[in-house]
Amino acid sequence: MRRMMAVYRKELQMFFYSPTSYVAFAVYVLMSSIFFYLAFVLSQPSTIDIRGLVGNTTFIYLFIVPLLTMRLVADEFRHGTDELLLTSPASLTEIVLGKYAAAATVQLMLVVTSLIYPLIESQYGTLDKPVLWLSYLSMFLLGAAMMAIGLFASSLSANQMVSGIVAFVLLLVLWLVDWIAGSVSGGTLKDVITQFSLNARMANLQKGVLNGSDVLFYVTLAALFLLLSIQVLERKRWR
Amino acid sequence: MLEVKQVSKLYENRRGVRNIDFSMSRGEIVGFLGPNGAGKTTTMRMITGYLNPTKGSIAVDGLSMADHPRKTRKKIGYLPETPPLYPELTVEAYLKFIADLRDVPAREQKRRIAETIGKLGLQGRERQIIRSLSKGYKQRVGLAQAILHQPDLLILDEPTSGLDPKQIIEIRDLIRELGENHTVLLSTHILPEVNAICNRVLIINQGQVVLDEKPENLGSAMGEQFELRLEVKGPAQEVRSQLKRLSAVAEAKLMDEESAADAETVKLLVTAKDRTDIREEVFFAMAKAGYPILEMKRESLSLEDIFLKLTTEEPAASRPGEPDDDDHEEAGEDA
Repeated sequence: MRRMMAVYRKELQMFFYSPTSYVAFAVYVLMSSIFFYLAFVLSQPSTIDIRGLVGNTTFIYLFIVPLLTMRLVADEFRHGTDELLLTSPASLTEIVLGKYAAAATVQLMLVVTSLIYPLIESQYGTLDKPVLWLSYLSMFLLGAAMMAIGLFASSLSANQMVSGIVAFVLLLVLWLVDWIAGSVSGGTLKDVITQFSLNARMANLQKGVLNGSDVLFYVTLAALFLLLSIQVLERKRWR
Repeated sequence: MLEVKQVSKLYENRRGVRNIDFSMSRGEIVGFLGPNGAGKTTTMRMITGYLNPTKGSIAVDGLSMADHPRKTRKKIGYLPETPPLYPELTVEAYLKFIADLRDVPAREQKRRIAETIGKLGLQGRERQIIRSLSKGYKQRVGLAQAILHQPDLLILDEPTSGLDPKQIIEIRDLIRELGENHTVLLSTHILPEVNAICNRVLIINQGQVVLDEKPENLGSAMGEQFELRLEVKGPAQEVRSQLKRLSAVAEAKLMDEESAADAETVKLLVTAKDRTDIREEVFFAMAKAGYPILEMKRESLSLEDIFLKLTTEEPAASRPGEPDDDDHEEAGEDA
């Protein structure tokens, strides 16, 4: 546990030493405030509703999650510090979970940052509380699952750019599952495909309905990609 | 302390290492030599658990690496070829991270870090960002990382490469000092380094151990015949024939033919039939004949000669176009 915490702390420190993180944060704040402005100020009469904004904000994750996660493992390879980690008493699970916990913390920060918008809206009327909190839960779950995918992509290459692009493509494909499902004309196939959609799962939560299977979907997705990352690292020993 | 048994790392398209076999006992400083690409780093990576061997087993303190990866890794300190540093962190933050990662108990961490910083002469740089350190200091931080958890076994991969001569001497002194409390395996391609600090030499070539000896026994290990350099007062031809008459002597060669005729003394190179010490025999023979020995010196091959001999023979056969290497080899033998 202490080893995992050590990796976690170090990784969180690294997030804030890296200029990329600041760029990602800036892009996030800028874009989400533009979305907020468009939805709440520009389109009159304004409604006290957070849902449109949440949907748009999660779209930004598609771009900033790869930026935030691309150095997670790739940088270790580049600096040769993977030799340090892999020869330490820490297990791969501890290392990967430590890194992921740091990424999830950053995700939490992103979500907390965008609480400013409902705060502003609440000055002008009453927000539907379950919708608000579950929407934000969905934002966190989605983002955290995406971070796991980013972490996995980062473990594939020593080059940050390559990791970032791989992460982006993986996320994009999952994102487009919705559209693919849309173009399939009905039937079981459509139902099956929709099951794997990243954002269709958010719909329930954003309606204020807490459904265990939706939460489980994101948790499982994250766990799956963390497991894959551990496998990729384990394979390095057998090179 | 360390046992490497028939370890191989096989690759499909390049040479790995084949059946490496050696063991180290506590307190030894072993120099691991070999040309570039011989498999030194691969072997070290297997010992530290960074790579898993394809075949064979490695045990530290009797504990198998494969069965107890965590326990054995705790006993090992490892400095890879490029020190594994996070350039963004300060020296202090980095060592704190290492202490946590390597299970240094929380209440000992402060003391241990301060001690290590002192030992490696890093005082005053604790708060400096690693990126801003010079190469020599980076190497020291790398070493600090390897010894922080007080491992029994230290694996150092070319600890002095890329340093200036002053830094090399400093690091070397450090390693010698560490050798007092740790068992050290260090790889290098600087040969005098081995003579300076190691009490055992392992030479590896093309993925196999070709020599495993104490530095002082290198000559005999090479299967060389026992050779003596003699300076004797007496007539050259007579001395020579006296020596050749000894049953253990294979050849007695005059060193400087021209001056031999009128000079009072004669210099000879005496080669024994095998590796037995013939010094006493030569002494008594000369004493009996009444020719005083003025100088007698045992000839031994330098580490360079041995290294070149061991590591160039095979490639010289398979790659004929390398006159450079052959030249060195001959020069070495004549010297």
